[in-house]
Amino acid sequence: MTRQKRSHHKLKRAVAPYLYLSPSLLIIGLLMLLPMVTVIAYSFQNSAVLRRDPSFAGLKHYQAIFDDPVFWASLWHTLYFTCMSVIFHMTIGMVFALMLNSDRINPALRNILRVLYILPWLFTAVIIAVIWRLLLEPNGVVNSILMQIGIIGSKVEWFSSPETALHAVTFANIWAGYPLFMVSLLAGLQGIPKDFYEAADIDGAKAYQKLIFITIPQLMPIIISISLLDFIWTMQVFPLIWITTGGGPIYSTEVLSTYTYKLAFSSYNLSQASASAVVILLISLGLTLFYIRYQKAR
Amino acid sequence: MAEVVLENICKTYGNNFHAIDQLNLSVKDGEFLILVGPSGCGKSTALRMIAGLEDVTSGSLRIGGIDVVDMPPKDRDIAMVFQSYALYPHMTVFENIGFSMRLAGKPKAERKKRVDEIAKTLQLTSLLDSKPANLSGGQRQRVAMGRAMVRAPAAFLMDEPLSNLDAKLRVQMRAEITRLQKQLGVTTIYVTHDQTEAMTMGDRVAVLKGGVLQQVDAPKRLYESPVNAFVAGFIGSPSMNLFEATLTGDELMSGALAIRLQDAAFVRRPGLRSYAGRKVVFGIRPEDLYDSSLESGRKYQTIPAKVTSIEELGSEQIVHLNIDAVRVDSGDPDAVQDFGLASNAVAKFEPVSTVRSGSEISLALDDAKLHFFDPETHLAI
Repeated sequence: MTRQKRSHHKLKRAVAPYLYLSPSLLIIGLLMLLPMVTVIAYSFQNSAVLRRDPSFAGLKHYQAIFDDPVFWASLWHTLYFTCMSVIFHMTIGMVFALMLNSDRINPALRNILRVLYILPWLFTAVIIAVIWRLLLEPNGVVNSILMQIGIIGSKVEWFSSPETALHAVTFANIWAGYPLFMVSLLAGLQGIPKDFYEAADIDGAKAYQKLIFITIPQLMPIIISISLLDFIWTMQVFPLIWITTGGGPIYSTEVLSTYTYKLAFSSYNLSQASASAVVILLISLGLTLFYIRYQKAR
Repeated sequence: MAEVVLENICKTYGNNFHAIDQLNLSVKDGEFLILVGPSGCGKSTALRMIAGLEDVTSGSLRIGGIDVVDMPPKDRDIAMVFQSYALYPHMTVFENIGFSMRLAGKPKAERKKRVDEIAKTLQLTSLLDSKPANLSGGQRQRVAMGRAMVRAPAAFLMDEPLSNLDAKLRVQMRAEITRLQKQLGVTTIYVTHDQTEAMTMGDRVAVLKGGVLQQVDAPKRLYESPVNAFVAGFIGSPSMNLFEATLTGDELMSGALAIRLQDAAFVRRPGLRSYAGRKVVFGIRPEDLYDSSLESGRKYQTIPAKVTSIEELGSEQIVHLNIDAVRVDSGDPDAVQDFGLASNAVAKFEPVSTVRSGSEISLALDDAKLHFFDPETHLAI
């Protein structure tokens, strides 16, 4: 092979991977990067979208949303909604996964439970919102049951009262989201060698010691990965809150996604909405970088 | 340290499969007993029953004089080394070895002292902070041993602990486990399907087949006086050659084959005379067959044989042969594949032998080393 042919071959080999990647890179660039950069640009402009030649606004819109108490309330609600959701998704998912993995439960019953436990995952956010609106309405089943067993004395307006609305939407989101944890942890549990538990039995481990010293450490990579992903996804939840409470009453369930939506499509303040969206993007980006670093470290 | 006694132990699974049938076995205090047998013979099940990891369907099981049938594993005062080692990947060597002490709530200082002691015995001191993933196969094996030793149990149970090691390391660890067992003097029950491990490690060897105990004896006696054709075929590598022949006078006849028997053969086995004129199964080990052209084979009678293939091992040659006799299956499911279609016998020749594949040879055999079995029951005569 001549030197020229060899260098041509080398060049082809070096370029080939990027050629294969180019269609997906182009699509990602058009559908993800371009809108993202555009939104960032809007957040620094006055009357973005609404005017053909918007002027540069600097950090004015950021200043405006940071001065807005509703933004801080939304941020707090988002954190509460997200943290509670992730904690309970993980706890409920773990309990159900342990139950489904236990050989003390009849296999036929286990199969039935597996289907039942996974049901919430089959519903779209809109259906979940409708189901819980019906269940939690003042004359709904939940109030009726709670009153009958004496937990509450009078009908509670779960989604309409500022005291209960945030807890109610969080509860609905917990109900809708635990199956992801359950399925992932169940797969993890099934991958833990039986020998580990047998060796622990011989060494005198009690059930809780096996959970602490074997099961949880063995599941830790799954727990961390799924928790981080769930945190990122839950922070961005919109339809469930929008359909159940719309962010109300009196901003009591306002989260960053509904706050941004309202700024954009109720107030038509697209520049401020963009600034809020950038704040969400930065928080998500931080978590994503943490997730990527964790995955790399493994 | 303790004696382990199994009396009429049975294990039946839900589908009515009898994994263990009336197992009677007594392992003396400090003894190293090997449980050996082909795949699916119930040896691991028996060990797991002793450990308490499998329920006993019926029978009595005593460790140190205490009936442990209804006791959970932790109360049986045993330690087990698993085939997979079952080392916790998220714990260091120190944490793995000291795990049982941690569970028992022993203070850290006491744990450290004991683990350091064990690590020194097993030459693991420099590895105490490592995780199992960073250890070699042999080191992992030693950590598994350490985890068993740390509790100073009444008995060690080992389930094929060397099967994951390469051949060289296995030989090394075989010697190390034997040395440790002698040093500690702890009653040990060791399961293996490798009859080399069985023959080299244990004080006694128990051979199992289909959940039924065939013979318990010292390795040498097992080799020299197998109680049936299965044990004869299972112990020894390559397996003993077993053939069917008719006993005519003092000769074994099969096709063109005739083997004269010395009077001594009948003196040693008085029952053999009663097979006169009847079929009998005879067996001869590959190491008792010789190349008649060499000095070592000249003194023995010969039979015609055809060489089908030769495996040169350097120190010896494994010669596959065809002789005019009907081969008998010893009943070892793992050994069936040993024979190709063209050969029905195996011999171990000295490396200087010049036999070639495809040649017709005179095969010398040491008739004093013949074994005889009943053709129906396969029991030794």
